[in-house]
Amino acid sequence: MTSIVSRFVLLRATVLAAGVASLLGGAAFAETPQNGGTLTAIVQPEPVTLTSAINTAAPTGFISGNVFDGLIDYDLDLNPKPALAERWEVAPDGLSITFFLRKDVTWHDGHPFTAADVKWTLENVWKTIHPRNQATFGRVTQVDTPDDHTVILRLSEPSLAILSSVNSNGAQVLPKHLYEGTDVLNNPYNLKPVGTGAFVFKEWSKGNYLILERNPNYWDKGKPHLDRVVFKVIPDAAARAAALEKGDVQYAVFSPVPLKDAERLGKLPTLKIETRGYEWISPWLFFDLNVDNKYLKDVRVRRAIAHAIDRKAISNIVWYGFAKPAISPVPSTLPAFHDATVPQYEFDVKKAEALLDEAGYKRGPDGVRFALTHDFIPYGDDYKRTGEYLKQALKRVGIEVTIRSQDTAAFTKRVYGDRDFDISSAWFAAFSDPQVGVTRAYWSGWVGKNTPWTNGSGYRNPEVDALIAQAQGQARQEDRIATFKKIQQIVQTDLPSIPLAELKFFSVHAANLKDVVTHGDQIYGSLKDAWFDKAASN
Amino acid sequence: MSIAQSVLPAAEERPVRRGLFARLLRRPSPVAGLVLLGAILAMAALADVAYPVDPLDMVGTPFLWPGADPDFPLGTDMMGRDIAAGIFHGARVSLLIGGVATLVSLVIGVGVGAIAGFFRGRADHALMHVTELFQTIPPFLFAIVIVAILQPTMTNVVLAIGLTSWPSLARLVRAEVLRLRDGEMVQASIVLGLSDARIILTHVLPNVLAPIVVSASIMVASAILTESSLAFLGLGDPNIVSWGSMVGAGREVLRTDWYVATVPGLAIVAAVLALNLLGDGLNDALDPRQNRR
Amino acid sequence: MALVVLGIAVVNFFLLHLAPGDAAQVLAGEAGSATPEYMAALRRQFGLDQPLPVQFVQYLGNLLTFNLGFSFRHGLPVLELIGQRLPATLLLMTASIGFAVLAGSALGVVAARNAGRLADTLISTLALLFYATPVFWIGLVLVVVFSVGLDWLPVGGMTSVEAGYGGWDHVKDVARHLVLPAATLGLFYLAIYTRLMRAAMLEVTTQDFVRTAVAKGLKPRRIALRHVLRNALLPVVTMLGVQVGSILGGAVLVETIFAWPGLGRLAFEALFQRDLNLLLGILLCSSAVVVVVNLAVDLLYTVLDPRIELAR
Repeated sequence: MTSIVSRFVLLRATVLAAGVASLLGGAAFAETPQNGGTLTAIVQPEPVTLTSAINTAAPTGFISGNVFDGLIDYDLDLNPKPALAERWEVAPDGLSITFFLRKDVTWHDGHPFTAADVKWTLENVWKTIHPRNQATFGRVTQVDTPDDHTVILRLSEPSLAILSSVNSNGAQVLPKHLYEGTDVLNNPYNLKPVGTGAFVFKEWSKGNYLILERNPNYWDKGKPHLDRVVFKVIPDAAARAAALEKGDVQYAVFSPVPLKDAERLGKLPTLKIETRGYEWISPWLFFDLNVDNKYLKDVRVRRAIAHAIDRKAISNIVWYGFAKPAISPVPSTLPAFHDATVPQYEFDVKKAEALLDEAGYKRGPDGVRFALTHDFIPYGDDYKRTGEYLKQALKRVGIEVTIRSQDTAAFTKRVYGDRDFDISSAWFAAFSDPQVGVTRAYWSGWVGKNTPWTNGSGYRNPEVDALIAQAQGQARQEDRIATFKKIQQIVQTDLPSIPLAELKFFSVHAANLKDVVTHGDQIYGSLKDAWFDKAASN
Repeated sequence: MSIAQSVLPAAEERPVRRGLFARLLRRPSPVAGLVLLGAILAMAALADVAYPVDPLDMVGTPFLWPGADPDFPLGTDMMGRDIAAGIFHGARVSLLIGGVATLVSLVIGVGVGAIAGFFRGRADHALMHVTELFQTIPPFLFAIVIVAILQPTMTNVVLAIGLTSWPSLARLVRAEVLRLRDGEMVQASIVLGLSDARIILTHVLPNVLAPIVVSASIMVASAILTESSLAFLGLGDPNIVSWGSMVGAGREVLRTDWYVATVPGLAIVAAVLALNLLGDGLNDALDPRQNRR
Repeated sequence: MALVVLGIAVVNFFLLHLAPGDAAQVLAGEAGSATPEYMAALRRQFGLDQPLPVQFVQYLGNLLTFNLGFSFRHGLPVLELIGQRLPATLLLMTASIGFAVLAGSALGVVAARNAGRLADTLISTLALLFYATPVFWIGLVLVVVFSVGLDWLPVGGMTSVEAGYGGWDHVKDVARHLVLPAATLGLFYLAIYTRLMRAAMLEVTTQDFVRTAVAKGLKPRRIALRHVLRNALLPVVTMLGVQVGSILGGAVLVETIFAWPGLGRLAFEALFQRDLNLLLGILLCSSAVVVVVNLAVDLLYTVLDPRIELAR
């Protein structure tokens, strides 16, 4: 096994290095953008609705980021940049945040954009309907709008996480004049959005395509460069690869083609593989161990399982190198919060066996200690293969694993509702602040609430709960960082879930499509900077 | 619906005669079918001897092309699993899936057809309504629904295929039984006071056996194809290796390492081909009119 | 007929509600995260907070007025969604059956006229090979060869939206997109029609009226066209009726590979999204298509063979 891994590490390393080299060559911001052209992109799966304010699913974000703007944007290093808010201030006591809005912004239907839109959306959508933000904006007690272009959030406690979550995905501003007094979830404008963004919604043929057109009155003068963006629905991964290869489609995100195909496409002169633009998401893959299971409630068994798993093999073989072994549940892509000193469980079959023996689970006459089930997150073959790897890895230490396959609805109900599982897999977005994305996996308040993508393991530790609450209200970032590091130490000792890998999602785009990735949240952001280099023949 | 069924003459005496095997061997295509099927059955039988380890084990370097390493004559897949071992063990699983699914649909189809044809009247009316109901729902779509709802395990895949493929068989059997029912043999049995069940089992069904056997051979082939299509859509059982699941797993590397999906794909083609050749051969051998040519 | 429709509604309604998880769960899962309040709001919106019998009675009530209900996921009435997708599916079905029948019959005639010779064997073997190869496999290979390799045809989809074709150009554009999916689906059925036609041709040739015609000194081609073909078409037409359902099912695979915006794919997605109103609507609609085609087949029968009267 080790020889396989090392050979693969070498192979993948060269391939990825080649990819990065071509990336650096392509990212030439100094070039003068050329206007015009139609960009055809793949959206998959088809979105349900076209505003992220009520649905934070990836395809919705991918399209609606072009129609709407956030209050602020994030650059590739996740530094906040002005968007609808020209600037912002946090009061020294941390108890209020003031946004100063741009004055020259109009909605696509000509109505002026004002502070009233922000106040209305915060109070009626972000705080009540938005699937993720209710926690983020929970401490906002009042919204003041002293004039049409100033918004002041009054907080009960400091809440620094707000500033890492007010881009167009985390806090999309909806037009008050079209939404006020309506049933927001059923508002017809959810399907024909009116935003302030660089592109105007034109047409949506369900199951087929969706067209956005250039907004000539966009506040960011001179942008966008593209005349039109067409989003096509292509359900089959092999067909997506073929469409990109042939040039029918010039842009696709969220690892749109089979990982093995990505290597091949990356070598073509007409295409580029891009792994930037996912910084804001910072995804990590992990196994949740159901701590209510009679075997898994023993921390020695959980540690034994961690020792039985070769995280390098998962990254390099199962994920073809499009992943990096994870050290802690807070990914290294959040350098400030990430703690590299947490307890590690290196790949060691002997140690795993010893721990299992110690826990009292000796091998039976057939070599089996006990049996578990595994439910993998039904997001495609990569996760299925991860499950197949787990099955074989645990077989070596005498644990018989039966893999169960099901669709998303059945999976989330089983893991987060019924808790009828032993080991499940999932990937979460950590986002740029662990408070938004990581703590949900460990906070005991989520256990069994049937809320997808929360605490699946059933881990209940009052100390961790207290630390999570503490981090939310701390005004100084250093204090928050210290608290988050403490949390990482504890959960990696108790090990209710095993971080496996930091996933490297990638986008594929045509080589002559320039500046398509300019933001750390690009896949949920706007294509306002993108342009076609007509000189470069494609 | 299958090829052989489609060329079956609807209503003519087709008794099973002696010398069937001899007549089967008279033509090259059923012989080819028998040889192929024999080879596949042998693989299934010898799987544990030839490849005693679990075909899911990751035993080699991933992506070894066929022939690159004598230890893995058919190469390895993306996880370093031996494809040859998968083909041998998969033969067993695929034949089992095809066989059991066919059995399920034989039981339902023959049962419904025989009862409807024999008792006619209200029973016939009701059963044919049910058959019609099942026939109007696209069978593959229905199979997808069943597997997705009951979760993709091997049992459920078999059940779904069996439950959705019986209606045409029921119609075939019903037509034959309706014809036989007015024949002398059955009428005589009724006069003799034999029980309905006995008449159906001893006098009716044996005479319908020929078309049933032909249909069954083709249905096994269809079931293998359906299983692979379900696996393609991600509705396969991840704990076992079938040819369908191997193709399903290999399709994402189709453009780079096409052999991973092609080798099991060829196995499916071979099995379906063999069963169809055999079915055609049986049909010819059992159909007296073909002898005129 | 009405009974069958009712049966389908009942069977599917309860079958589909056996599925674990509901539409709210799916939406919440896709959204990345959701609070219990958000889920409750979704359930209220979808009417999923009602007891099952109440939902069923409501559904039946809607059916009586030809109302297939509302797809909350898509925010559109089911009928409208089906209306958007049905033409694509019907086009794909017609084209692939048309291809299978025409090409299959032609091959069958050639094979029959060369019965026992090399051409016969070649055609039969080739047809059987297409039949034995998994549909999705043929589809993927056709894409690689004809779209990526030779660059003759588009990879998938139904139109070149970017080009904004109108009128005649639009028709040609759709036709180009249709070639590969129709061929993929049609090749599977090709074998069946080839063999059907071949067998029927051989059988009819031996019948008395054809012998009479030959004895009368009519030209062979005239015989073939007038009598043989006309009679051989009967089983072909029968088969058509039987196969509609199966083709609709096969469309799921082909629509997936070629991104064809049809009903099969919509049904598949509706199933995984627990959009049960929509799925039920599609199942009912496909059944209706099957029933209508079979009625048409019965009618065609009387045209092809005057001896058969419309019994029903």
